[in-house]
Parts: sequence; C-alpha cells; structure tokens
Amino acid sequence: FLGAGGGNDIQWCFSQVKGAVDDDVAEADIISTVEFNHSGELLATGDKGGRVVIFQQEQENKTQSHSRGEYNVYSTFQSHEPEFDYLKSLEIEEKINKIRWLPQKNAAQFLLSTNDKTIKLWKISERDKRPEGYNLKEEDGRYRDPTTVTTLRVPVFRPMDLMVEASPRRIFANAHTYHINSISINSDYETYLSADDLRINLWHLEITDRSFNIVDIKPANMEELTEVITAAEFHPNSCNTFVYSSSKGTIRLCDMRASALCDRHSKLFEEPEDPSNRSFFSEIISSISDVKFSHSGRYMMTRDYLSVKIWDLNMENRPVETYQVHEYLRSKLCSLYENDCIFDKFECCWNGSDRQVIFHRTVTFFLPPLCSIVMTGSYNNFFRMFDRNTKRDITLEASRENNKPRTVLKPRKVCASGKRKKDEISVDSLDFNKKILHTAWHPKENIIAVATTNNLYIFQDKMN
Amino acid sequence: MLGKGGKRKFDEHEDGLEGKVVSPTDGPSKVSYTLQRQTIFNISLMKLYNHRPLTEPSLQKTVLINNMLRRIQEELKQEGSLRPVFVTASQPADPLSDNFREAQPAFSHLASQPLLPTDLVSTTPLESCLTPASLLEDDTFCTSPTVQHDGPTKPPPPALQPVKDSFSSALDEIEELCPAPTSAEAVAAETAADDSKDHPSESNGQKPEGLPESRTAESKLMDSLPGNFEITTSTGFLTDLTLDDILFADIDTSMYDFDPCTSATGAASKMAPVSADELLKTLAPYSSQPVTPNQPFKMDLTELDHIMEVLVGS
Repeated sequence: FLGAGGGNDIQWCFSQVKGAVDDDVAEADIISTVEFNHSGELLATGDKGGRVVIFQQEQENKTQSHSRGEYNVYSTFQSHEPEFDYLKSLEIEEKINKIRWLPQKNAAQFLLSTNDKTIKLWKISERDKRPEGYNLKEEDGRYRDPTTVTTLRVPVFRPMDLMVEASPRRIFANAHTYHINSISINSDYETYLSADDLRINLWHLEITDRSFNIVDIKPANMEELTEVITAAEFHPNSCNTFVYSSSKGTIRLCDMRASALCDRHSKLFEEPEDPSNRSFFSEIISSISDVKFSHSGRYMMTRDYLSVKIWDLNMENRPVETYQVHEYLRSKLCSLYENDCIFDKFECCWNGSDRQVIFHRTVTFFLPPLCSIVMTGSYNNFFRMFDRNTKRDITLEASRENNKPRTVLKPRKVCASGKRKKDEISVDSLDFNKKILHTAWHPKENIIAVATTNNLYIFQDKMN
Repeated sequence: MLGKGGKRKFDEHEDGLEGKVVSPTDGPSKVSYTLQRQTIFNISLMKLYNHRPLTEPSLQKTVLINNMLRRIQEELKQEGSLRPVFVTASQPADPLSDNFREAQPAFSHLASQPLLPTDLVSTTPLESCLTPASLLEDDTFCTSPTVQHDGPTKPPPPALQPVKDSFSSALDEIEELCPAPTSAEAVAAETAADDSKDHPSESNGQKPEGLPESRTAESKLMDSLPGNFEITTSTGFLTDLTLDDILFADIDTSMYDFDPCTSATGAASKMAPVSADELLKTLAPYSSQPVTPNQPFKMDLTELDHIMEVLVGS
C-alpha cells in the first residue's frame, strides 16, 4: 500500500529509460504528453511528430519478485498528421498535446488524443488469432478458381503472433478556432470536454458532427483580450462540474446545470498578489499551466511557473498549501523572459490513488484514496516531489548516468546563492534546455514516468 | 547555460539587472528601473515582431506579451503627467528594497510642482511600481537598450554615473539661478512677467526628446495593440510599424545629449525663459494653431506629441 507519509518515505530507483541515446534530439521525437491508463498496465506517450507510443507492463514474474513488471512497447501509431490551414496560410502542428484514456469496458482499449485542432478516439485492440481455412481464398490470400472447389469447410481460428492494432474510431474536428490545450473525460464516461485558448466544448463520445460550447471568453472586440484559458478538467465524481484555469492565475469552477453557457462561474479561485514579490513578470509567472483534481475531488492542484498550489474547493480566496518548485529562478525572470523559458508549461500530478486498506482483527476498513504527494518537473532534468504530510520535498534527476537499477536515486540540490556546497549545482549551471514538463504517476503503484526532452524514464520505489 | 541563443552580452546585461543588491545607491536605482522597463519593452516588441512561425503563434504567449507592453505603456503614460525628480547625490542613501518606496514620501511635497514628463525618473504611485528596487539596484548596470539596433555588437557601457553626476550638478546650477516655483502657473507668471514674449507653459508643453519618440511608437501601439488576434500574420499585430520604427523610437538620448540650453528636459521649468522662448520659436512653424504673442500659450499634450513626432521624423 502507498505510504501515508511519516516514516514511509518512498525511495526512488531507476527502472527503465526509453528513447534515443544520442544528444542530437530529433524534433519529432520530443515527448509532448505522458499518461497512464486507469489500471496502470499501459503507459502512453505522445510526441511532436504526431505519434503515440504505448508501453505495456509485463505481468509480474514470480522469479523477479524484486521488481515490478517492466514496460515494453505495446503499440506505436501515427495519431495526427501535419495539416495546412489554407485560410491563414499556416501549418497545423501534428504535435500531440494531450492523451486521455477511457476506462476499459471490453477487451479493447480506448484513448483520446488531440493536437491543436482535432481530437481522435483510438481503439487499440489485440489480435492473437486468425481465421484459417477459407473456401474461396488460399492461405496467402489469392483467390481460388471456383471451379476447383469440390468440398466446403468451416474456417477455424488458429493462434497467431500477437498483433496490436490501433484504429481511429471517431474524429472530432472543426470545433476549435484556437489551440486545444486540454481534454478531459467526464465521470459519466459518455462525454468529454475539450478546451482551447478561448472556448470549451462538450462532446459526446459517439457524436462527432457537433459539440456544445460551454465556455466562451472571447471578447466581442479582440483588442480587449487580456486573458486566455490554459487548462480545464472535469471533476472526478461530479459529472456536471468542471474547472478551467487562466493565464491570470485564476481558476473557475463551473456547474453545467446552471446554464447552457457556463460563462458565469460558480466559484472563482484566486490568490491575492503578494506585493513584496511584485515585478514586471508577476502576471506571466502566475499563469497556470496545469490543473488536476485530487482523486476524491475535494482538492485541486495548480501549477504556475514557480510553484504548485493545492486548493480546497471550499475555499476560494487562497490555496491551502503552496510549494515552491524553483524559487531560485525568481531573480532570473528577465532572462527567462528573453529566452522564452518563462512560457514553459509544466504539468503536475498526484500520487496514485489506491485506497488505504486497514485490517483490524476481522474487519477491513477501506479509507478514501489518499493524495499525499505531488510531483512536478523543473529544469536541468530535475523533477520535484512534495509530501503534503511531512512537508518534506525532494529533487531528483532523470539522467542516464543514474541508470543503475535498484540503486536509490540521489537527491539533488540547487544552490541559489552564496557558497556552493559539494554536490550542489549552482543556478547559473542549470541547463534550461533540459526541461521536464510531463510526468505521470501510476494509478495504483509507486511507479512514475518522467519525460525529458526525448526520453521517457521510469522509476519505481525500492521494494524490500 | 542560461537559455538558448547565447547572446552573451545580454546575459551579462541581465545579470546586471538582476544581480544581487550589493550596496544602496542613490541615483541609478530609478534609472535602473526605467532602463529595465525599457529593456523589457524592447524584448516584448522583438518577440512580437521577430516571430515568423510557420505555425500559428501561441495566443497565450501573445496575450501575455501584449499585457506586458500595455502595462509599461500605462506606466509611461502616468509618468507623462508627473514631475520628474532626479535623485542626486544629496539623497539619503536608503538601502535596498525600501529605496524606491521611501523615496515616495520624500518627493510628495513636490507633487504640486510643475509636472514634467520624463522617462528617466518615475514618481508614479506605489501601486504601479512593478519592480521592487531590490531587483533593480545595480550600479554596475552597463548596457543600454538604446544601442540594440546596432545588432549583435557589444554596446559600450554608457557612463551612467558620470553623466548623472554632471547632469545633476548642472541641474543644481540651474536651480540656483531660478527661484523654486510652487506651481506651473507661478513659473509661467514669473516668466511672463519678466518677459513680454510669450512662451508655453512648460509644465504642459515640454518633454525630453526621448519621450515623444517612444510615445510615438507607444501611441501607435495603443491604437493598434491587440489588433490581429484573429488573423495571425507572421509579423504579429503591429503591422503598421516597421522594426526600425520600434527600435529607433525607443532611443532616449536625453541622458547623453545633455545640453542645458536646448534639450527639452525636465529642468525646463527652471530654465531661463530665453531657452523656453527659443523652443517656442522652433515649435511655432510646426504648430497647427496660430500663436498670438499676447495670449498665454497652452499646448495640448497630444498636439505636442504630434509636433515632436514631426521634429523627430525630420
């Protein structure tokens, strides 16, 4: 069971790394999204080249009880192709912005993947048998001369090598003028939302030719535009509730029952600005790059440029917790503005949601899922974890130099100023091209997937 | 390595802007603030202009940069109506983050003074101060944004301190010449009484050379700023301005071209009437309004904008 903090600090070990080794990164290989499915058995990545790669966890091997199953490539397919918008004379990138899995209902797996303009529902199915013994076709597919057919037989299924096929089942297109930044599947598992810079649309998974616009913040006069939507998510339990975040650091919670167009929020979450930290860049660094509900739906987490904030849905005027990811960058904001790093969109995630199970004599207690650790990325291939219970945090590095399985990762430390201690790295030595924007946590186990520019790292906790 | 592009001179420059506060300074903090603001303004414009993507630029990024530009413009606009106060060596050396804020009360008694715009010094209200001086305190600030148009050459460090000192001391001299006025009208009245020739009420009229240039760019920006969010062109939305306009327009050379007799600086209100008169004579041919000798002449701010625009353009 997942540790509830306290003496149960997780010790992370390197498990695997996927992707090219050479430093020369091909643009198309840049990973743009990472997502576990609901069971954690499958791990999907999307890249800038429009491809989706799905890894599958090996079933646990009795002889290898010291580690959890490894992830191996299960399926690779081209989800989106580059397109050209003739009206604007601009290319539409094939980069996969988000992948969201549907819960499994039958043998096949379904996921939604989206680029800037189009969302696609993909069915991933296995084929391990094929029919043999056709009457009119030879085994190699050639048609038999009907006059040579003298007897009839019933074709039978024979085993074959496992083949994983991905086929697009729905294409949800032409509903977004601006760039899609989020998709989120509703808890009813029938509808989902897609959000772009100015609008949010509600779709039914079965219907592709229309969607409902539920949020529209486009001003009548575009010259008055000062704020855009940056992320959106459905509440995990309440199928009429969703939130969306903005570039001004606000989160709005909307109830779809209130009106067809949810332009008026039910709740507005915003923290007042700290006057002592005010700068030219206050607005930019307050822009929220990711929002994630906790598994219970009681809390939500937001990521802005320098921090992670936990909000209680019942308290709108300030977050209940704030964690500084890389405060040492505050004095570098001008440079980071100049080189565009200040616009990097970091994601954040909660730890897995396995229920706490407590055995007491003959009674088993199932407690609500615990969201006690948050994880997010930083620069120099560092990523950070914050334990909400112990208030401890740790900085780890995703690098091939650490790839000794079952060796606990060494914590890193950035020296903000003053004398640099041994093993510390100074702020000026940080590599701002090595950014970890996407991380994911296995829904049930202490396994995490961390994406560097073009590599995917998998870490596990040290099993005793 | 800090970011891509490795413009080393800029990194040094940025480090200067953002370096640790070493010691309290008197002059440069306000100058640093303005210069940093100028730098950020330039960077923002460059981002909007130089971005020639094959794909549509990010709307979020565009909006954030746009908001930055607008904020800076607002500040400059506000400053346009306030008296400049030059921090001289006689100022108390207040440390660090309090320097800028504590300076406010010290200058509040001058609020009723003739208000002259300058982008050298800001006495804007605290709420609109965006950058704590702790970030801007730097007397080693070397590069000037005004030379960026020269391309990737390392700009010579302008001698800010010495210029400042000579400027301040020159200002002091001028102050000694004239009695300290208490209002714009008093100045005008005095000078009008002293001199039968008419001259503009300097408080409204005169501005440093640099400001109108930047105002030119900025007034155009104010008109066309958010412009083309819908139709994205590869030049962003400021399609009526060329890159040269922007870069050259932002140059504020008033610091380097100090000439007590001819430059329209913040000291104008205390200048001898004769120079103001000379200025009026130069301006008169460009004025669209007839200037009658015996009427007190009040020029509209926007009109002066226009005139300065023409002057700068010629």
